[in-house]
Amino acid sequence: MAYADYDNGNEPLSNGWRDWRFMLILAGAALILVSLALPFFSQRISSAKVSFSDGSTITSHYSTLVQGLNLTMSKSPVDAKLDAVDAILTPVSHRRSGYGWMIAILQRPSALRRHLSLVLCLMVPLLAAAAGIGLTIRSQRTPVGLARGWVPAAINIGWGALLGLFLAWCHHFDFSFTLRAQYASGFAPGVGLWGAALGAALIFAGAFSFRRALHENVLDWWALVFVVALTIWLLIRFKPFPYVEIWKFVEDGIVVTLRIVTTSFGLILLVSLLGGLGRISRSRVIYFISSLYVELIRGIPLLVQLLFIWYALPQMFDVLGGLLMSLSPNLQAQGQWLIDLRLSPFTAAVFGLTFCYGAYGSEIFRAGISSIHRGQMEAARSLGMNYFQSMRHVILPQAVRVILPPIGNEFVALLKDSSLVSVLAVSDLTRRGREYMARTFLSFDTWIMVALCYLVLTLFSSRAVEFIESKTRFER
Amino acid sequence: MNRTLNPEIIRIESLCKSFHHGRIVALDNVSLTIPEGQVTVIIGPSGSGKSTMLRCINHLEVPDSGTITVDGIVLESAQDINKVRTEVGMVFQQFNLFPHLTVLDNLLLAQRIVRKRSKAEAQSVAEQLLRKVGIPEKAKAYPGQLSGGQQQRVAIARALAMQPKIMLFDEPTSALDPEMIKEVLDVMLELAQEGITMVAVSHEMGFARNAANRIIFMDQARIIEDTTPQELFESPREERTRQFLSKILH
Ligand SMILES: Nc1ncnc2c1ncn2[C@@H]1O[C@H](COP(=O)(O)OP(=O)(O)O)[C@@H](O)[C@H]1O
Ligand SMILES: [Mg+2]
Repeated sequence: MAYADYDNGNEPLSNGWRDWRFMLILAGAALILVSLALPFFSQRISSAKVSFSDGSTITSHYSTLVQGLNLTMSKSPVDAKLDAVDAILTPVSHRRSGYGWMIAILQRPSALRRHLSLVLCLMVPLLAAAAGIGLTIRSQRTPVGLARGWVPAAINIGWGALLGLFLAWCHHFDFSFTLRAQYASGFAPGVGLWGAALGAALIFAGAFSFRRALHENVLDWWALVFVVALTIWLLIRFKPFPYVEIWKFVEDGIVVTLRIVTTSFGLILLVSLLGGLGRISRSRVIYFISSLYVELIRGIPLLVQLLFIWYALPQMFDVLGGLLMSLSPNLQAQGQWLIDLRLSPFTAAVFGLTFCYGAYGSEIFRAGISSIHRGQMEAARSLGMNYFQSMRHVILPQAVRVILPPIGNEFVALLKDSSLVSVLAVSDLTRRGREYMARTFLSFDTWIMVALCYLVLTLFSSRAVEFIESKTRFER
Repeated sequence: MNRTLNPEIIRIESLCKSFHHGRIVALDNVSLTIPEGQVTVIIGPSGSGKSTMLRCINHLEVPDSGTITVDGIVLESAQDINKVRTEVGMVFQQFNLFPHLTVLDNLLLAQRIVRKRSKAEAQSVAEQLLRKVGIPEKAKAYPGQLSGGQQQRVAIARALAMQPKIMLFDEPTSALDPEMIKEVLDVMLELAQEGITMVAVSHEMGFARNAANRIIFMDQARIIEDTTPQELFESPREERTRQFLSKILH
């Protein structure tokens, strides 16, 4: 059935395994498998002498590939600048092939911890070869000669393999391009690495040429999430100073941001549902109250609302408490409780976001619910279900499909706007960034890091929303 | 059935209903009594208030004045309305199946929630009804995958699953392609022969002739003529009825 939607399902999309595109892919897979057995890195750094401006030096010895951060981060003397790094290169005598490195690392648990990333980087080309072979084999069994699901896999793992090989090569010289520039010839990739890269490129090209037969987008935007996350990782590894420090500093801010966003989003859904139902209510009072809420809140900037809740609300509590106490001696305790009442920054933030976004959400829910044909409610009611049963089982499950895309957008917007709660003494991602910048004045690096963190979160949420959307479609 | 049939299972007394603050009068002081076990067909030009009357019977429209008594229950409180609605099945022109549920789940939903039947019991009722309307093989399909005639038969089965005493049909074949009308009418005919109380708005004169005990002609928010099919087709009393019949009988 799934094949009916391309090319009327009649014309074959390939001429069996003799098709040149399959040949390309198989050749690429073979090349990868062979190349991994050929020399990858012919030399390694056996020791390095780091000299500092005050004349002191530190010499480190490495028994295997250098451990990424150690070389440039070796305990530098205080107040001295790093002057030069002299590395001593030794030829690698055995196990220098891709397989060799992987086996050598996997055999030693102590090495595995430090060099797991190299193993992972070298696994990707192997996966690409597997995807290419899988695509070819599975395609022989389909009526149109092409296994649809395997094409995007081969394409994406194909370019992933190129990236993996590049990163594997970077392991070779401590991730520092300065060092590489000094010893350019010594760090030239071996024939195995070139061969594997060519193989990965062939698989990518072969699979990519099938893309036209599919009529669908193959390189999807999930790749962007991956690329941004990778950028963060690369920054941390390539330029450990200051990015490792920034990362360590803002890490807990990310957790706080996520906690605020998820808590408020749950409450927002609830408020939106009630607000939306209120906006379509036949009762004048309920309609009036919910409309007033929506109209008022939508007209006030979120920042002002947050400032109001944080600074003005406690004053209102004081006044109300005083009023209660003066009204009657019986209300002393309640009045005092109100005067003592202080919202925690977290509560205030959640409260403010919920209040504001609930108003926007109400409109989304209202539109979604009223988009469902009136006959649905009538059919449900005519079967004897009451209003809430009909809403719960008939209207809302259908409305969800209408509501989901705009509510997903709201979630992403909420994620970004949550940065405003940093004015409420909440240590979220933005505030942690500000604190770090105030300490170090590294404004560029700090905000790049914070921006990238937000970007990963928002891009990931957008993709997740799209995915959920695609899962909830149904035939009308 | 040994028990005596209720001669007034539906009783409508001076029912009035208007829309847009009285500017459109849909029902003008209508009274009508329907005995149990009878098949009543309502005909009349578009906008004459047929649907509104049917919808008032299970309170999808709230009357402006007048009383409606269904099976001895006067429609007043919310509980009464829901109780009456479980005894009155309704089939709509636009089918109104729940598109997010399979055919089987369409039939199960109200049985489980309103009748509070066990899953197994509800399922056996549903399967039996799907056989009755002739599409047992579509139980796992979604409404969107069915033809109009099949959808309407599912809608009938869905209403029957509540085991109502009365079935209301509001132009059940008007939205159907001609070749599908018969399959729906056959199901309705079978129901009529089983002796269920039926009120149908329909201009299928063949069905009226074969199945109806009684025909009501409505025009301009009033009942103009209330008689048997034979009499209506052979010697209609009113001039307006004659004109209307000549239009629909060609
Ligand atoms: N929900 C409604 N709002 C406003 N006017 C309505 C509504 N329902 C019906 N009417 C009006 O009431 C009159 C009778 O309608 P209806 O009962 O649907 O007629 P019929 O079913 O005989 O064609 C028509 O003039 C129609 O426009
Ligand atoms: Mg009508």
